[in-house]
Amino acid sequence: MTEPMTGLVVGEGSLADALRARVTASAPARVIVPPLVIERRRVVDLTDDDIDRVWERPMRTVIAELQQAYRDGCRHIVIVVPTTGQSGGAEHAAVAATAEATRVLVKSAARQWGATGVTVNAVALAPEAFGIDTTITGPVSIAPRALEGDVDASDTISFLCSGAADHVTGQTIVCDGGLWM
Amino acid sequence: MSRRGTSLIGRVAVVTGAGQGVGEGIARRLAEHGATVVVAARRAETGEPVAESIRADGGAAVCIETDVTKGASIAASIARTVDEFGRLDIVVHNAFTGAVPHRLEDAVIDKHWKGMSLTAGWASLQCAREAHPHLVTSSRRPPGEGGGRYVLITSPSGVEGSANIPLYSPAKAAQRAIAKSLAREWGPDGITVNCIAPVAASPSLITAFDRNPALQQAIEARTPLGRVGDITDDIGSVALFLAGDDSSYVTGQTIVCDGGSFLGL
Repeated sequence: MTEPMTGLVVGEGSLADALRARVTASAPARVIVPPLVIERRRVVDLTDDDIDRVWERPMRTVIAELQQAYRDGCRHIVIVVPTTGQSGGAEHAAVAATAEATRVLVKSAARQWGATGVTVNAVALAPEAFGIDTTITGPVSIAPRALEGDVDASDTISFLCSGAADHVTGQTIVCDGGLWM
Repeated sequence: MSRRGTSLIGRVAVVTGAGQGVGEGIARRLAEHGATVVVAARRAETGEPVAESIRADGGAAVCIETDVTKGASIAASIARTVDEFGRLDIVVHNAFTGAVPHRLEDAVIDKHWKGMSLTAGWASLQCAREAHPHLVTSSRRPPGEGGGRYVLITSPSGVEGSANIPLYSPAKAAQRAIAKSLAREWGPDGITVNCIAPVAASPSLITAFDRNPALQQAIEARTPLGRVGDITDDIGSVALFLAGDDSSYVTGQTIVCDGGSFLGL
């Protein structure tokens, strides 16, 4: 069994810590948990400082982490985001923008770095994994979650960090028990 | 009898980046259907001729210099619009700058990200913030006499990524997420929020075609309709739909207007 790799997961908070303990890789890899700022704020109340903290700074960090992973010779890069970017979220417009921008940046990176054999993918988790309250943002889906039980995305992420996924790039695997489809 | 239709008589619209290209096409089409249009352009040298041309064609338009990279400029432009015309019903945020081809691993924030972030991410939120009270007022008017509309101009690249300008895609993707979020947030106010993802013969694309004729051939070849869109007839008409009463039950959506080139939604 492959052991967790030092420096494999970058990011702070309980989600990054949980992934750090469980995700494995069979080749140089990097898992990026973006520093999303989760704050309930109507857009009409957003200050420029809010936009800077919730949109600009996290995006700059994501870009820098992606660049660092590439420079470090990582063969597989995975970024973890909430499905809030895909679904949108009331009173969470700025963080939804950051999440979706990050998810699509993965596609650009995959297109550019594919020629070097580097794969770049996203894993999208339920908003709650990032502390986002869907009673405020609005429901993710018109239907209830398909699967019951706790969701552990570490195996999905480990797959994307393995040779088994050498030809998977630019994708988003939604790992939320079948809520967002 | 239905009140629905594409008449925008009595409505007031702000179109950012309307001094040329897609913004100009949208401004013209909205004005043709009765809207009083504010051509919000960074430079009066480009915005005023568009406004003058619209007036010459029988429409109502003024140019208000607006730099969407500055929140204060956006606020001033919207405030002046309401001061001069008494209302604001429609905002189309189209202005965008900073798309420079680059390698992602070598990208420099100030050169390859900042301009796109300011005009797409920041300005989409700032336009929304400043316009919201006026769009609420519009939506409270009797049916057929108002209806707040916020339209963001994004790009197919904001869905599928870009190998040529990698940081362009996240900037444009952000706008789709903002539209969905505001659709949820503003739905109770009766305001709709949508995106258009166009491919159109803007001045920048025409310049690119002039430099590289093979690019035009490649785009036309991959496009089922076999041509590049017209800024007014193709893109402006979609904006007209989203600005008017016919789209009153459409919100949080992205209409890809590219002749069928991107079919991934």
